[in-house]
Amino acid sequence: MSEYIVEMRHITKRFPGIVANDDVSISIRKGEVYALLGENGAGKSTMMSMLFGMYEPDSGEILINGKPVVFHSSTDATAQSIGMVHQHFKLVDTYTVAENIVLGIEPMERKFGFLPWVDMKKANKEIAELSKKYGLEVNPTDLIGDLQVSVRQRVEILKMLYRKAEIMIFDEPTAVLTPQEIDFLLDIIDGLRKDGKTIILITHKIMEIKRIADRCAILRRGKLIDVKNVAETSVQEMADLMVGHKVSFNQQKAEARFRETILDVDHLTVKNEDNFEVVKDVSFKVRGGEIFAVTGVSGNGQTEIADAVAGLMKIASGTVKLDGKDITNASVRERALSGISYIPEDRHGTGMVLDFTLRDNLALREYFKEPFSHKGILNQEQFQKYAEELIGRYDIRSGQGPATIVRSMSGGNQQKAIVGREIEEKSKLIIFVQPTRGLDIGAIENIHRQILQERDNGAAILLISLELDEIMELADTIGVIYRGELLKIAPAGEMSSHEVGRYMMGVKDA
Amino acid sequence: MKKFLAKRLSGRHSSLWASFLAIILTLITASALLLIMGKNPLVAFQSFLQGCGFLPKANYGGGSGMLSDLFDFLNYLAPLMLAALAFIAGFKTGLFNIGISGQMLISGFLATVLVGYNKELSAVVAKPLVILIGILAGGLVGALVGFLKFRFNIHEVVSTIMINYIISYLTGFFINNNFVNIMTRTSNVCSPASRLTWTNVQIGGVNCKVPLGIVIAVLIAFVVKFLFDKTSFGFELKAVGLNAQCAKYFGVGVGKSIVFSMAISGALAGLAGVTYYLGYTNTIIPKTLVGMGYDSISVALLGNSSPIGAIFASVIVCIFQQGANYMSSRVGVAKEIASLITGIMLLYASCGNYMKMIANSYLRKEMDKSSDRKEEER
Repeated sequence: MSEYIVEMRHITKRFPGIVANDDVSISIRKGEVYALLGENGAGKSTMMSMLFGMYEPDSGEILINGKPVVFHSSTDATAQSIGMVHQHFKLVDTYTVAENIVLGIEPMERKFGFLPWVDMKKANKEIAELSKKYGLEVNPTDLIGDLQVSVRQRVEILKMLYRKAEIMIFDEPTAVLTPQEIDFLLDIIDGLRKDGKTIILITHKIMEIKRIADRCAILRRGKLIDVKNVAETSVQEMADLMVGHKVSFNQQKAEARFRETILDVDHLTVKNEDNFEVVKDVSFKVRGGEIFAVTGVSGNGQTEIADAVAGLMKIASGTVKLDGKDITNASVRERALSGISYIPEDRHGTGMVLDFTLRDNLALREYFKEPFSHKGILNQEQFQKYAEELIGRYDIRSGQGPATIVRSMSGGNQQKAIVGREIEEKSKLIIFVQPTRGLDIGAIENIHRQILQERDNGAAILLISLELDEIMELADTIGVIYRGELLKIAPAGEMSSHEVGRYMMGVKDA
Repeated sequence: MKKFLAKRLSGRHSSLWASFLAIILTLITASALLLIMGKNPLVAFQSFLQGCGFLPKANYGGGSGMLSDLFDFLNYLAPLMLAALAFIAGFKTGLFNIGISGQMLISGFLATVLVGYNKELSAVVAKPLVILIGILAGGLVGALVGFLKFRFNIHEVVSTIMINYIISYLTGFFINNNFVNIMTRTSNVCSPASRLTWTNVQIGGVNCKVPLGIVIAVLIAFVVKFLFDKTSFGFELKAVGLNAQCAKYFGVGVGKSIVFSMAISGALAGLAGVTYYLGYTNTIIPKTLVGMGYDSISVALLGNSSPIGAIFASVIVCIFQQGANYMSSRVGVAKEIASLITGIMLLYASCGNYMKMIANSYLRKEMDKSSDRKEEER
């Protein structure tokens, strides 16, 4: 028997244009929590996708319990007792917990000797026992669609346990959770380790690694940089290794100087397509020079607030005033012209036209104005000039400058382009929704700096983010949203992240 | 050879080369088909060109010559080019107008009934009136399709197919009841004053039919190009076509854009309709949609959805369609082979992006190989 339960030796994987993993070797002991740390695009997920059989490595070999294996699909990996919780859960909303868990390996029996029959009662019982044993608190007969994100994640864990997985891979498991839920999850992982399971944790959150992991492999640009014993290293050292240079954890944040009210949202109610109230009777004000952050668990109505203010969703009742002017029924264009900039959540689907050039995308807020167009005829030279200006000012990198098709650019540079375009409008109100999602540390720092700079220049900032760290770092005022209602509005200094977390769970008197 | 093609397919004029390759592949496939039938493909292709007046035939009937064939070709080319432009105008906004045939028919029918049967109108009044009716009738049907999509979320492919049938049977009913010629079983012919083609024009000693439509079609191609490349309205339409959500986000009225775009598409289809029914044929066969409305889609794709590309693509498709009669009589292959060839061409043309993708990945591999080799040498 080998010392290691999983060995991946000299793994190289290429994708068109990039080397995702370059000669990476890692060895994982039985019963440890092994973390893979790295920025987005460092190759952590690719590495684990190969261990789970979703890709095959171009070269290198994988050994399980000392024996070489070749996985052609995740079914092969499952047969070797490997399980994975993906970032986006793979569950059927209209099935119960137990039905989801047994899907594909249903406990079959023959009724009356011939009729194939799925014994759901037996499955329910087994799953309830498993849930109890590991403290997962999941009811097997609940419908997935009714469950919160954190519970769905535990269903995924149960799915692995039910399939007798010994090696469990977690891909960014805490990205969607509140602080309390993160504590709960880390306790579960600890319990699994005590039971002898091997855990592989993909993450870019160093604090979690410090809390739970035994060893940590640091990847950067597809290469293995180092493997550290977590007990013998510091958060600072891991962060520096991950990024490749010294990291400063805190932005220099100047004292806030509030000015007059810019955005005044009064008793706002928004209904979605199914006529369901996604935002209920929400009132708040944002002043110039203030960052008002709305936080909450994903899907509680925060993006709808942004859409309603920007005019993308219809307002069912209530009023929205910008700088004293009622814009409740104004069109998107009118709102933009009266001073709203909007960095939307979905930068591909909403923020840009991916098949347009960078030049055209940077002009989306300007193309209809002089001198970009004159009597409806476009002035291409102005487009080019403006694009060159913004590319320089916001350090937007691309293959062919203004003529680059935006689809071919990296996520960080796409976001830089959107942020640059919106800031350049010098609007009174700038709405940021999830401005740093999926970006690496350098890009995040850069965008945070810009948000603070705009605030110091006197703009009102409405920041909507699922990253609690981001909210705590930037916000002057925090509003916590739960099921469409703003449960609590308070100055940032008066709430700890744990308090915010409790409001996010819907506890009114935290 | 492989490398040469790959480079062309990933370079600056990649779309042009993809279309070119599609034509070559079509010719090869068509040759194979003809060979299987025991015919000489070279003779067949030669007679396609002869039938269109690009090459001289062995002999001509009285009063006609190569030039008359060429003008016949232009007569058919004009509506085909316009129909392709109609498709492109919608396609750039992400709309698949499959109802061009119906829009052609309703415009042709209305212009025939309102102007073509009015013997008192002079040519100076009648011809512009025909064009105007064509644009209005087609444009209104197009706008209706756009409205249905934007207001009731009815997909344009569904609504245009339905409207095609409605128009086909409705006009068929009126033609059969009121305007039918008992001998030919088609509608009565229009007055020469209203017709968009001048017949019996003597050029170089032969009889020619000179179409007004071809001038309009080429002109429209440049107008459509200008609209989409140079105007802020076209910029908005393209954005709606590529990403409607983003267009809404930066303040474009998406519904308005869809209605306008379909109206433009329909108006051009209407123009195609009047040049076809009051130019090329001068009569309407009741309850029949012309295949040209569908051929226009292959023309548009072969021309890479570019208005200028459509000019050249329509010439190529038209050679097969128009030359088929002569080819059929000379080589002895049913003239339906023209539609077959057009279909094959559509197939290859729609593989254009796939071919470009293969070319790109091939070049990348080559590059990797050569860089590996360099490293080894070091």
